[in-house]
Amino acid sequence: MGRYLSKKLAIYLVTFFFAVTLNWLIPRFVPGDPITSLLARFASLEGGKEILQSYFVQTFGLDKPLYAQYIGFWRSLFRGDLGISITRYPAPVMDIIKDAVIYDYIILLPSIVLSWIIGNKLGAVSGVNKKVDNFMMPVFYFLTSSPYFWFALVVSYVFGIVLGIFPTSHAYSATMRPGWNWAFIADFFMHWFMPFLTMFLVQLGGWAIGMRNMIIYETNTNYSKYMESLGASDKLIRNYGFRNGILPQVTGLAISLGTIISGSVLTQVVFSYPGLGYTMVQAIKESDYFLIQGCFLFLILMVLLANFVVDIVYMIIDPRVRHSYSGEV
Amino acid sequence: MKTKSFWKKHENLYFAVSNKKVLLGVFMFVAIILLSLVGPYLTPYDYEEFAGAGYLPPSKDHWFGTTLMGRDVFTRVVYGLRSTLLVGFLAGTIASAIGLVVGFVSGYYSGKAADEGLMMLTNVFMVIPSLAILIILSAYLPYRGIVTQSLIVAATAWPWTARAVRSQTLSLKNQEFVNLSRISGLSTFKILRDDIAANMFSYVFMVYILQFNGTILASVGLEFLGLGPTRGVSLGLVMQNAVNWNALHLGMWWWGLIPGLILTLLIVSLYFINTGLDEVFNPRLREM
Amino acid sequence: MKTRVSVLLIVALIVSSSAFALAAERNETLIVGGGPWSPATSWNPLYPSRTSATIGLVYETLFAYNPLTNEHKPWLADSGEWISDTVYEVNLRNGIHWSDGEPLTAVDVVFTYEIARDNELPYTPIWRTLEEVKALSLTKVQFVFNNPSYQEWQIELYSRPIIPKHIWKDIPSDQLMIIANENPVGSGPYKSGVGGADRIVWDRDDNWWGNEVFGQPKPKQIVEMIIYENNVALGMLMQRTLDLSNYFIPGVPSIKDAFGLTTWYDEAPFMLQANTAVLYLNTQRAPLDDAEFRRALAFAVNPEVIVERVFEYMVPTADPTGLFGGWTDYRDAEVVEEYGFYYDPEVAKQMLDEAGYVDADGDGWRDLPDGSAMSFEIIVPAGWTDWMESIRIISEHFRAIGINATPAFPDQSVYENRMFTGNFDMLINNYGSGVSGSPFSYWNWIANHNIHRDQVTEGNFGRYDNQELFDLIFEFNQILPMTEESLAVASEIQKILLQEMPAIPFWLNGMWAQTTSKYWTNWPTENNPVGYPSTWGGYWQFGTIEMLINLEPVQ
Repeated sequence: MGRYLSKKLAIYLVTFFFAVTLNWLIPRFVPGDPITSLLARFASLEGGKEILQSYFVQTFGLDKPLYAQYIGFWRSLFRGDLGISITRYPAPVMDIIKDAVIYDYIILLPSIVLSWIIGNKLGAVSGVNKKVDNFMMPVFYFLTSSPYFWFALVVSYVFGIVLGIFPTSHAYSATMRPGWNWAFIADFFMHWFMPFLTMFLVQLGGWAIGMRNMIIYETNTNYSKYMESLGASDKLIRNYGFRNGILPQVTGLAISLGTIISGSVLTQVVFSYPGLGYTMVQAIKESDYFLIQGCFLFLILMVLLANFVVDIVYMIIDPRVRHSYSGEV
Repeated sequence: MKTKSFWKKHENLYFAVSNKKVLLGVFMFVAIILLSLVGPYLTPYDYEEFAGAGYLPPSKDHWFGTTLMGRDVFTRVVYGLRSTLLVGFLAGTIASAIGLVVGFVSGYYSGKAADEGLMMLTNVFMVIPSLAILIILSAYLPYRGIVTQSLIVAATAWPWTARAVRSQTLSLKNQEFVNLSRISGLSTFKILRDDIAANMFSYVFMVYILQFNGTILASVGLEFLGLGPTRGVSLGLVMQNAVNWNALHLGMWWWGLIPGLILTLLIVSLYFINTGLDEVFNPRLREM
Repeated sequence: MKTRVSVLLIVALIVSSSAFALAAERNETLIVGGGPWSPATSWNPLYPSRTSATIGLVYETLFAYNPLTNEHKPWLADSGEWISDTVYEVNLRNGIHWSDGEPLTAVDVVFTYEIARDNELPYTPIWRTLEEVKALSLTKVQFVFNNPSYQEWQIELYSRPIIPKHIWKDIPSDQLMIIANENPVGSGPYKSGVGGADRIVWDRDDNWWGNEVFGQPKPKQIVEMIIYENNVALGMLMQRTLDLSNYFIPGVPSIKDAFGLTTWYDEAPFMLQANTAVLYLNTQRAPLDDAEFRRALAFAVNPEVIVERVFEYMVPTADPTGLFGGWTDYRDAEVVEEYGFYYDPEVAKQMLDEAGYVDADGDGWRDLPDGSAMSFEIIVPAGWTDWMESIRIISEHFRAIGINATPAFPDQSVYENRMFTGNFDMLINNYGSGVSGSPFSYWNWIANHNIHRDQVTEGNFGRYDNQELFDLIFEFNQILPMTEESLAVASEIQKILLQEMPAIPFWLNGMWAQTTSKYWTNWPTENNPVGYPSTWGGYWQFGTIEMLINLEPVQ
């Protein structure tokens, strides 16, 4: 158990290290010298020169050798200093990210958990019931094949524009001030629903198909046939299959997290939902490099954290891992 | 008589062509590929040309309608499909190749330093959300062509292939015929090529299908964010334009939704082929 | 699981129901979009990047300007006139005061100008022509010039915010442009409110001096939404969350009736005109250094196509002189008749043939007279969708006469950097061509003389060098407006610009404005010109305050 966790943690640490290095490397070695042009933009801002002196010289130390610049980059990272956004000058990147990240969680957490649970249940039903399967399977395939952003457009068109039920953009109405009152919560919910629905449905298809195939596979194993010949009910067989299918589905979740978060970036863009993804894409449009870097780093952190949670869940439900660690990661 | 022995020899092929999912999948896939190949010859317009009035819904003259400015959506979709398929094909091939090599090597040398190192790299790439890397890479590259885009998509798409191939290699490696080859003193390369790779052909083919799916989705996502090839037209770009020009708000669903629908159908078709083949190669699934 | 979540929610609601302030009532709130592109971080009237509505809502100017009638309207001032060739006298209104209750007097006006004399501020250069500003009484101020720039002064009168001496005299010189000035003391009808990352909020000051003079603005609160995409703005208009949008929104002509949107004109061009979009040609690069070549380009493009396809007739094509609105008082029809350009590719081809720009190597593209190949890149910022499509069309039209031009879309900062450093072939720009009280601002931007340096930021990005023209523009500035002499100089300027074509005016960008009537009515339109529907920075003095006063809440 300890070994399992420590190996996982090692992977996450290396990933983080890799991501930070990539973050440092790319803007320095691509053509066009974005760092210098960014510094020039800062210099022309009021008070920008002071910031140049304090943050950039320490962090970038453009006159210093590369390894020193690299160490400086890590040092300011550990101080929680990700620089200043040029488009929202003089707001620190850290503050902007703190505001944005909540919107990621509020969409991602429920959509991942609910789609996983409901998707697996539906998949199991589809796996044993041929009639349901004939109808549901194409739907599942359609859902899981849809690019997130396209499905977001479909949802937005149907529910937002044709039916006019839900607002098509932002996290809450312009008239609202955030606060714990019914009016705001209702408004927030209305804005939250379509991005959530998009994320929920597209993921759902994948889980359902995974579980369906697993169940079919299991119901055709010798032990199931044996049970069947003993007169066990469909439901019982399905339950056995379901339990056996759950573990691979948890692993599947860990593998899909990157794709899901990528999907949420695109979904946020369609709905202008102000999470990290939307913020990052806006930052790219305006070449706000520090903000891009900050968003990138936090997206990675978010995936790492989610992976870690899935690992712990996996550990809890898999007796083999719980008792001793063996086999592949 | 002759045909019968042919089918006997190629049992899998028989099951493949008689599998409904495979057939439907192949039919849809071929139809969409044909659309991208033939489409440009069917349309009298150029994809940048103002082919008619704006806001036209699908009709005889404009099969998929026109954009706000009067460009022909069908023309843009078929040209865009070409570009997107090309990127998906290139990136999928490169990614599969990387994944295969890394997976083979890692699986064959399992437990050794090379395996540890490669698997660490694989795991790292697996955890990072590929779109984030793609966005950040594309954001800093001022001019991007189809090849550049394929390369950056491929660079993030290979890890799960590597992992899957590795575990397949592991299970094959310890089977008797491989041990036999090893005892008879065949070189590592020959073992990899003749025994393991040959036995994995069906598996590799399915991996490739999934990889193609993944890379197409990734590149369309990039295109939609405006980070695709800087010149020409692509499916994602058509949809980005549609969003930028308020197509859906203005009721022009044909502009915003048709390109994505075709893409989704393409991916569905590949899934069908993949699942169908899975049933072909795993007879246990077939009975359903 | 489900029950636990709902319990949590209910607990949170009970705990918090008391503590939170409600927003102002929707029917007392005006929600607008299109002015700011980033959250407010500075309300400092001396700092050029302050949040834009600071001037107009909080700080006020001596005069307002009505671009529809080309007239100045007394604001803080009661009246003003040239009492001699070199002295401009202003009479302030009686009984006007700052938001903290202190009276606003001639002392503050004098202070506003002297602070620029004694410190380095953006408007310090006015002291090159200004000699003295003196208060003759609490309401009478005289501006004494040595050699007055009459044209520029017409713009100055409605541009300069008057600041309170009793607040600003204590601020150290090096802090003047740096302080954020979070709770600004101004004289205007609004105060800064509590905003956020996506909005800037202004609360009405019920003690505004203008309530008795002009009437009280109706909205208790103005919320400026920060919206980055025009499709978001359209979605908000459709859902009636936005009362006034100042974004370019494609499709407005086709949906405005169905969705109940109002625009200034009911028919094309729908919008008022805000500025001239010109194609700058880099005159430091061959063959763009050849006036004949530049003129030929002007004949090659059909701006009607841009107007029809890209803007759906929401903009008109530009006059060959680039002049519009009040500036046309100086337009010389005879000069335009003789030297103006129009769309005719045959003329363009003929001009190029005669000047020796022919296809020498048979590759389908015209070459330089010495036979070497030429090609051009036209740039606009990425994401400016209307301009992106426009330069696609312009490139097509150039290619149609054998000139190899391609559009390119660098991001905005790169675009600006290349524009300022002269590292481009052709580009579309409009930064300095905005509607104003004098065509001097347009000419001084098209043919600015400050071109012999690394960064050219004040216009003339193609670095067209013609001292004769620079002198004429300078001279025009220093002649009393609308005199025979000034008209003659203006004609000469137009003639040179048309002959030399350093920049080609193609269309007039709109003062984009779409309004909804769920919460507010009586919007200014062509038939009901009760103000100016713009919340852009620098446009509040054009009649937007009158719009606020004349709005009617829907009951």
